Amino acid sequence: MQKTALPRSRKRRFQNTLPFWLILPTLIVLLVVQVYPALYTVWLSFHEREPKGWVYVGWGNFQRLFHQSLFHESIGHTIVFLVGYTVITMTAGFFIALLLNRKLRLSGLYITLLFIPWILADIIAGMVFRLLVIPDYGLLAGFLQNPAIFPPKGLSVLTAVPPHPWFGDFPFPPAPAMILLILASSWRALPFITLLLLAAMQTVPTEIIESSRIDGANGRQIIRHILIPLMLPTMVVALFSLTLTGVNSVGMIFSLTGGGPGTSTEVLSYLLYTIGWNQLRFGRAAALALMMAIVNWLLITGTLRLTRVEERSR
Amino acid sequence: MLKINPLTRKRLNQMAVNVAILLVIVFAMIPIATTVLISFKREQDVIRKPPVIFPCDTPEKSFDLRACRWSTEGYYRVLAPKPSKTSPLGFVLTGNMLRTYLPNTLLYASVTAFIVVFLAGMSGYAFSRYHFRGYRALMTAILAITGVPLLTNLLALYQMGVILRKADLPFWDDRIFIVIVYIGFYLPLSVWIAKGFFDAIPRELEEAALIDGCTPLCALWRVIMPLAMPGLTAIFLLTFVNVWNEFIAAYLLIAKNEYKTAMYGLYDFLGQNIINVQVIAAACILIATPVVILFLFTRRTFFRAMVEGAVKG
Amino acid sequence: MKRIWLPLTLILLLSLLLVACTSTGNESAPAEEQSSAATKETAPAEAKDVVTWYQYDQNNEDPASDERVGNEYLRNTIPQFNEAFKGKWSWVNQPKAFDKMTTELVAAVQAGGDVPDIYELSNTQDLVDFYRHGTAQDLSEWAKAQSWWGDLDPAGITACTGPDGGLYCIPMAERPQIVYVWKDRYPNGFPKNPDEFMKKAEELKGEGLYAMTFFGSTDKGGEGVTRAIWTTISSFGGSFDDGKGNMVLNTPENIAAIQFLREIVAKEYVPEIAFAGGFREEDAFKDASAGAFPTGLFGYRYLNPLTAPSGKKYDKGNAEDMLDAIAAGDIYVSPYLSTEGNKPGCGIDIAGFVIPTGAKNVEGAHDYINWMMEPEQNAQWVAAAGGGFPVLKATRNHEIFQAPLYTQASDALAVSECRPWFGSLQRPNEAQEQIMNAIYKLIKEDPTANIEEVLTKTQEEYNANN
Repeated sequence: MQKTALPRSRKRRFQNTLPFWLILPTLIVLLVVQVYPALYTVWLSFHEREPKGWVYVGWGNFQRLFHQSLFHESIGHTIVFLVGYTVITMTAGFFIALLLNRKLRLSGLYITLLFIPWILADIIAGMVFRLLVIPDYGLLAGFLQNPAIFPPKGLSVLTAVPPHPWFGDFPFPPAPAMILLILASSWRALPFITLLLLAAMQTVPTEIIESSRIDGANGRQIIRHILIPLMLPTMVVALFSLTLTGVNSVGMIFSLTGGGPGTSTEVLSYLLYTIGWNQLRFGRAAALALMMAIVNWLLITGTLRLTRVEERSR
Repeated sequence: MLKINPLTRKRLNQMAVNVAILLVIVFAMIPIATTVLISFKREQDVIRKPPVIFPCDTPEKSFDLRACRWSTEGYYRVLAPKPSKTSPLGFVLTGNMLRTYLPNTLLYASVTAFIVVFLAGMSGYAFSRYHFRGYRALMTAILAITGVPLLTNLLALYQMGVILRKADLPFWDDRIFIVIVYIGFYLPLSVWIAKGFFDAIPRELEEAALIDGCTPLCALWRVIMPLAMPGLTAIFLLTFVNVWNEFIAAYLLIAKNEYKTAMYGLYDFLGQNIINVQVIAAACILIATPVVILFLFTRRTFFRAMVEGAVKG
Repeated sequence: MKRIWLPLTLILLLSLLLVACTSTGNESAPAEEQSSAATKETAPAEAKDVVTWYQYDQNNEDPASDERVGNEYLRNTIPQFNEAFKGKWSWVNQPKAFDKMTTELVAAVQAGGDVPDIYELSNTQDLVDFYRHGTAQDLSEWAKAQSWWGDLDPAGITACTGPDGGLYCIPMAERPQIVYVWKDRYPNGFPKNPDEFMKKAEELKGEGLYAMTFFGSTDKGGEGVTRAIWTTISSFGGSFDDGKGNMVLNTPENIAAIQFLREIVAKEYVPEIAFAGGFREEDAFKDASAGAFPTGLFGYRYLNPLTAPSGKKYDKGNAEDMLDAIAAGDIYVSPYLSTEGNKPGCGIDIAGFVIPTGAKNVEGAHDYINWMMEPEQNAQWVAAAGGGFPVLKATRNHEIFQAPLYTQASDALAVSECRPWFGSLQRPNEAQEQIMNAIYKLIKEDPTANIEEVLTKTQEEYNANN
């Protein structure tokens, strides 16, 4: 026992600060890769690169960004994309979860097949869908480009122009390329959302459903008045998660449309790439990134707050 | 009207559900099935107008099973085997995809996953077991970072990469940079998942080990680790797959051609083979297959990780 | 769970092994032709690397690749150079995507990243960006001391001269825009003015054919502007700038040109594939469904295989197909149409070499350029890699350039007015994308949009950033 007199206090200090040492490497990496770049982006957004070096431009980048008509168009595209993407994924996910809920044992093969879209890279998924609609050679091109089915000249998705906007400049209805982008993104996100909703569905106690069925409620009423309210927290989390990935997903656009015929699939994330790396205007791109980061931050904190609500409601 | 036996109705219901699920799976798989199909077609069959789904038609019949003209031309072009006198198989595969890009992807994915498991394991354990002052705030902060997408930080990271390259440090490599970026990006989610898994391990086990004379570190190693294995494996797999599939960071942050990843290689391919779709399809299949196979064998771990990470908030 | 760790560790070991094997594999690669992409690990070797950036890839032996002509050129020429400079220089080429090369170079110079010793310039407008960012070195002193200096076409030298009088590139090939025409579709020559064109187009439409195809998509950062779009605009007497660096789009001539384009698109004289991107517009010319194709002279290297209206096939799959077709008379080269009081328009470009700022092996770059100025090498480069007329006047006598393709092209140029599309614009790459987006919107996306409004909006947006 005497041997451990001195070392014990050192050991105890180590013990007490053990968590600190355990977390430290993680914190360092996160500071370097996540926090510092975020601050750097703020700095970048107030500067622009001249041949001489970095020059302070104040709000100039933001002003120029707002004056770019492509920026406003891009916001429109992003909104159209998000709405389509979230609505389709949530609805389809919900119904598939309903289906899967009935079946008590799902063979492993089914699940694996169902989940392959999720495991594919976004750029590969984009490629896969592109192969279907390549003008003249895509497998669906025979069907789509048939003038009998799509008057007057058939529909070549990758080159078709968007129909005339209904509300001023807002890009709705979307171009066929945008519709394809939405479908491809939904296809990819579906398994994950289905699993989420299924898990939530399965936490609903069966007694409630049974008793309401005894009370004479039919399927639709059960869904509307029992399932959805009980699943609501998870559904909102899913919605936020979808929106977050939707705002930031850019890989699929590279392989599927490359910005779309003209600029019809130029969403904000792709615009960021265009301004930053195609036009080499890093300051302006940083301004855009900052604004997107703020939107992301709002979404994330919203999600966190809601999940805390959800946990408390359990 | 026949009075439908409740038993039959139940069976009909089951059948309907089965059929519906089958339909869903068919829709999920159609794009992939078509890609596989295209990858086995010959060039002449790929550039036909109007396109045919199965290259099995003859001048007489529109579909003749015996006349199917499958070919591995696409794979041939991607892998580019060349006769070689030195290799044991008689040929060596020289496609860029196989020689440079896929090994790079494999390297980045494995190294990142290992380091992430290590770091996330430590941090998750700390957050789960030690409730020190301000732990909740720190945890929330890390959770908040989870959602920050790579995209918005890429500009700053790109400039940082530029500065680091200019500094010309002796051991520095583009690859170290991208691996660190990947680690930093996938760490928050992994810490979250790790904490969840550690939370599920009852503290009594640790305390029992401590009573038995084990130091905390020994308890960590002997008792907790084996139980946390599923969680750590889940983190490894999740990170591995995410890095494998990652495109935009690899595209923008890696400058040297020979350090680029398979996803970049695929994008490059697209630029050069707009019409040779069978080559693109073959490349897609080749790059996606390892991950799909991995997923097949480890899907349960994946699901557990997903559920832990997402539903739990 | 232990079962999973074993395969996982195996994967890691395998990957490390693979990486180790491939990086040593690169050095021990038997074939000399396989020059590895810039492995600077030439530790004990004496020959120092001369690193080049081309849009061609010597390792890409795919016979169906877009750049097969250039790829083959490199495959054949790199060993020649290495032989000629054995022990001294070793030519190492890094292939780059042609529409991203410019920004990559600017970024690399700024970033202090890997800067090549020789950069293949294929767009004169890139020089404007290079000058702004300090990307290219001033070569005037060195160039004027070389033996071939006096033999260069002054027009090429002017194109490489910056606003401060410095020489920022060595011109090798002049690449004008001309029209390739199928003889059987236009037996009486390509129409000389819009009215003739419309009449002929209507005839062709009646036969189920298209009058012409062109690069109409917004692909590749608006590259289409530099081709048929500019040819049309300048044929109508229009232009994009005011000579002082301001973009001016809203002029009667431009509007007339855009209305012309709008009309031919609306009346389906142009195939849908012209807007598909990815150079798919070439397909319509290759199978003769479109009778004409206004594009760059360099285009002849990509237009193969060909199927003439008569059914005759030119299918060697390389640049010779076009040369054969022209020699056989199935295809001819023509100037574009023009409106009253204007000459047929044409854009012009210079292809050549840039030595970037921060290049490590400037001496090697100098030797490289001198070697490329030797008669045979010059001719080969211009024919295969550059695609146009040699700037070095002596090379024009080479037999390659006596082919009908070149004689017809110079005839076409003699009656056309060739000038660069960007004029005095200071940010051509940005302008290019904006203009192409605007024109695409006007002629394809929204054929009822008000032309003046869109043009005015575009030019204001560009000029606001001046």
